[in-house]
Amino acid sequence: MYKKFLFVLFTGILTVHLQAQTRRIDTVAVSILDKMSAVIGDLSSCSVTIRSNYDVSSRELGLVKHSDEQELFLRGSSKLLLRSEGDKGSRYLLFNGKNLSYYSMDRNQYSQVETPASLIEMIDTVNKLYGIEFPIADFFYPSFVDDILAESKNLMYLGLTQVDGKECFHIAGTAADKTFQFWVSNDAWYLPMKIVIVYTNKEMNPQYEAVLSNWQVNPNLPDAIFQFTPPVRSKQVRMVPLKNKK
Amino acid sequence: MKAFHQYKLTGMIVLLTMTAVFLPGSIMAQRFNHAGFGGGNRGGAPAPSRPAPMPVRQESRPAAPARQEARPAAPERQESRPAPETINGGSRNFGNHDFNRTVNVHETVNVHENVTVRGGVAGRPAVTIHDHENVYHTGGYRGIHPYYYHPYRPYYWGPRWHPLGFFLTSLAADAIYFSLNNQRYYYDAGCYYLPSNNGYSVVPAPVGAVVSSLPEGYETTMVGNDYYYYFGGAFYINNGQGYQVVPAPFGAVITQLPVGATEQQINGQTLMVYNNTYYAPISQDGQDSYEVVDPNQQ
Repeated sequence: MYKKFLFVLFTGILTVHLQAQTRRIDTVAVSILDKMSAVIGDLSSCSVTIRSNYDVSSRELGLVKHSDEQELFLRGSSKLLLRSEGDKGSRYLLFNGKNLSYYSMDRNQYSQVETPASLIEMIDTVNKLYGIEFPIADFFYPSFVDDILAESKNLMYLGLTQVDGKECFHIAGTAADKTFQFWVSNDAWYLPMKIVIVYTNKEMNPQYEAVLSNWQVNPNLPDAIFQFTPPVRSKQVRMVPLKNKK
Repeated sequence: MKAFHQYKLTGMIVLLTMTAVFLPGSIMAQRFNHAGFGGGNRGGAPAPSRPAPMPVRQESRPAAPARQEARPAAPERQESRPAPETINGGSRNFGNHDFNRTVNVHETVNVHENVTVRGGVAGRPAVTIHDHENVYHTGGYRGIHPYYYHPYRPYYWGPRWHPLGFFLTSLAADAIYFSLNNQRYYYDAGCYYLPSNNGYSVVPAPVGAVVSSLPEGYETTMVGNDYYYYFGGAFYINNGQGYQVVPAPFGAVITQLPVGATEQQINGQTLMVYNNTYYAPISQDGQDSYEVVDPNQQ
C-alpha cells in the first residue's frame, strides 16, 4: 500500500513537472520570423526610421515614458550610421569597419573606440564592453530565430492586424524575463514593422516599443556618410568600459 | 596643484557625462540573448547547439593602387557579377530549427490545459507545435494562416466514398438508415444519401446526424480548445455517443478537399468553395492545406 502510494505520488510529481515545462511553439510564427530573418540576411544595405518609446522607472513617479526617433543606415557588414533625436538629446553613432564614433551634438563631445571589423561583432562587442545598445539590433543577428527559440517559453502567431496602415503578421512570445511581440509586414519583404517588449522581471514591468517605418531596401549609400570628422571645437572624451563603472 | 585638481574634476564631469548616455539601464536596443557571439553577454540562454557560425564576411577592399600616368586597359567584363556583401552574412538555420532543444527556463512555466504534446522527451521540455490563437476574431473569421495558393487536387476517400450528387441504384448491405428532421437518410462509408429516382443520391452531411464511428482516413483538427474531425467534406465533433455532424468551424485546417470544390476569387485571393463553405489555401508544416474562412472577412 505504501509502495503504491509512493508510486502514485512520484508519477504525479513527474507529470506535473513535465507539464510544467510544456512550451508552445507555433510553426507558423517560426516560419514568418524565418522569412523575415532570411530577407534581412540577404540585404546589402538598408535604412529605416525607428520611433521608440521606453519606460524609465522612477521611485517617485513610477514608470516615466521617454521617446526617441532614430534613423538607421546600414551598408555591407561594416558600415553603420545611427542618428538619434529624442529625450537623450541629438546623437550620432558611426561605424566604418574599424572604429565606432560617438558624437553628442548637444555637448559637442565625441568619442572613438576601435572595434571588430564586422557589424554584428561590433554591436555585440561594444554592447558587452560599454553597454551601448543599438535599436532593433536583434533583427540583424543572423541567428535571430534560433536565439528567439532558445529563449522562448511560448511563441505564437496571433493573426493579421494593422501597423501604421500596413497589414502585418502579429507574433507574441514569452521568455523567462520578458514578454515580446513582433509585427512583420504581410508583403513580399516580410520586414519588421513594430516590436514591443515588456520586462516582467523588472519592477513595474517597464516596456520598450519601437515602430519601424520608411524602410529602404538596398539603397545606394555612399562611403562619406559613414565617415566621422570631429567638428570644430568638439571635445574628445573617453568611453568608460562597463567594468569600470560604479 | 589647485589647478590640477580643478582639471581633474572637469575631466571627471566630462567622463561621467559621456557614460550616462550609455548606461545599459536605459532600455533601448537589443534585448535578446545572442549567445553564439563573442560579445553581448547579457546572461540567460545557453548557446544552442547549431552549426558553427558562418565566417563573418568582411569588406576586403584592396588598397587603392598608386595613380599611374598611363591609364591601364579596362579589364575584361566578367560574365558573373559577384553578389553584393550582405549586412550580416545571411540568416542561419532557415526552416531548420531544433524545436526540442533545451530551453533556458529558470522558472516554472504555466500549464496549458488541453494542449497536445508532441515529441516530448523525458528530461527535456516538451514542445507543442501548431496551436494558433487568432486574437482578431471580431464578428466574422479571417484566416489566421498566411494565404498560400496551391493548385486544387480533388480528393477521393476510397472506392466507397462518392462526391455530392453521385447517384447509386442500390446501397451496400451494411448501409445505415436513420431519420433526422422528418427526413430519411442513409449513411455508408462517410457518405449520406437520400432516396431519389428509384435510387440514392449523395447529399451534404446533415448537421445534427450522429454516426458511431468514422471511416479510416479522417483528419483531426483543433480549433480553439475543441477537437473536430473531418472526413469527406464534413466536420464532426465527438459528443460522447458518437460523431455528430457540425457546420464547418472557422479556423479548422484540413489537408484535402473533395472532388466538386470550385475556385472563387475574393479580394484578389483564390478561395475554394465546397458545400457553401469557403476554404483558403494555406501551407502548414510545408504541406498544402486549407483553412475554413469567412469570405466576408477575406
